[in-house]
Amino acid sequence: MSQGLPEAAVAALNKIGLNYSFVLAADERASFIHGMLVTLELSVVTAFFSLIAGVLLAAMLTSPRAALARPARIFVEITRNTPTLVQLFCAFLVLNMLLSQALRELGGNPLTPFIWSVIVIALHKGAFHAEALRAGIEAVPRATLEAAQSLGYSRRQRLWELQLPLALRFALPTLVNNMVDLVKMTTIASAIAVGDVTYASIMIWTQRDNVLELMILILLFFGALTFVINRAGRWLETRLRMPGYGH
Amino acid sequence: MATEQLSLPLANARRQPGAMITVIAVGALLALCEREIVSHAHNVTLVALVTWAPSLGKALWVNIEISLLAIALGTLAGLTLGPLLLSPLRVVRAVTRCYVQLFRNAPLLVLIYFSTYVFPFEISIGHHILPFPDWFKVTLGLALPASANVAEIFRGAIQSIPHAQWDAARSLAFGRAQVFRLIILPQCVKRMLPPWMNLYASITMGTSLASLVGVHDLLDTAQVASNTVARADFTVLVYFTVLGLFFVYCYPIARITRRLEKRYAFN
Repeated sequence: MSQGLPEAAVAALNKIGLNYSFVLAADERASFIHGMLVTLELSVVTAFFSLIAGVLLAAMLTSPRAALARPARIFVEITRNTPTLVQLFCAFLVLNMLLSQALRELGGNPLTPFIWSVIVIALHKGAFHAEALRAGIEAVPRATLEAAQSLGYSRRQRLWELQLPLALRFALPTLVNNMVDLVKMTTIASAIAVGDVTYASIMIWTQRDNVLELMILILLFFGALTFVINRAGRWLETRLRMPGYGH
Repeated sequence: MATEQLSLPLANARRQPGAMITVIAVGALLALCEREIVSHAHNVTLVALVTWAPSLGKALWVNIEISLLAIALGTLAGLTLGPLLLSPLRVVRAVTRCYVQLFRNAPLLVLIYFSTYVFPFEISIGHHILPFPDWFKVTLGLALPASANVAEIFRGAIQSIPHAQWDAARSLAFGRAQVFRLIILPQCVKRMLPPWMNLYASITMGTSLASLVGVHDLLDTAQVASNTVARADFTVLVYFTVLGLFFVYCYPIARITRRLEKRYAFN
């Protein structure tokens, strides 16, 4: 009976013209599920590092020191105004090649396509996080900062204990949007042969010519991820809400 | 006890020089390459870049064409769909909302694969067979999310106009269509312009994905060039040229958008 259920479902879908027979082939099913797991892993790792990059860039952007603020501003502008795929190719095909040449004697290049995807997408989305956080940091009322200063807070303390926590609440809706974009953006990792869900699907549909069926699965998968992120964002918003501040 | 100055960053004053320097740097780099070649052609890498420059230029034009056509189609479709999101009929609202949600939440690359592999490569209308080239499929793949985004931008703009204006105009004996055309729409255009330009910039950047489905766009041409010349320094140069070209095209759009946002922010 448990054997019959997937087969029955595939047969039923076949009747309405959708060919899902790859689900019954153990190796193709395994590669698709593995692809979904890689996408999840890539999304989680990239999201984590993008937040770190975002906070660091935001701290640099709002610094009164031009030596910190200016490079950060240039980096953010270049990152935001060039395609991520081109950045990924510049990193993977160019920097990776140079690195491989440099490290040839030292036993090869340790960076995999997966790591390069994490670096590029995390920095790209980090720039977007930084812009959102910067707006939040600049929205902290001056009186609050003066109050903190009169209590003896240093600039660093003001940033970490006052401006960033308030900016996080201010920027949270934008950050959640950025995270949704980030998850969608992980699909471009398939261009440098990271075995994510898109790559696994390409491998399957070149064999079976069932693009539409796999498309539906991919869209459902990303729809589910987006839904979870939005839910998590909503939960965080109510959790972090401070009465009388922000939205 | 020494009190340090409470320093709030002067964001606007500082933002401009940094960005300007970048633009000038990219331009200067290109000019330098050009001059180097013209004076004496001894540098193999730069000669290769100049040899490939016409193809790269043509390829960039392919990207720009795709982006312009995609935003045009997307805007037309989006402007039709936008008011449907506010339709008094519940069914119409629900169907349009589904469309908008689907195409806004789908990854761009997946939509491009979708339009490339699912649409036929030619369409026969009567006796005529119209070819359906790959670049046009990519354009459609970009126009679909564009239309969903424009619909959402349009809906937001309509709803941002205070409802009192509707009531006031109605009390002056304007019809519903008249209010919409003469009072609401002109204000919407202003509010829609900055997000619409953002959308255009992001579509332009999305056109680079066309190289993954075999359209000979800028990135694809750069790959061909780098494989043909097969020199490490040329590879570095050509990919960063591609990055620079996209930046030179997209950055001014972003700047104008920011200026418009600021100008329209308080009225």
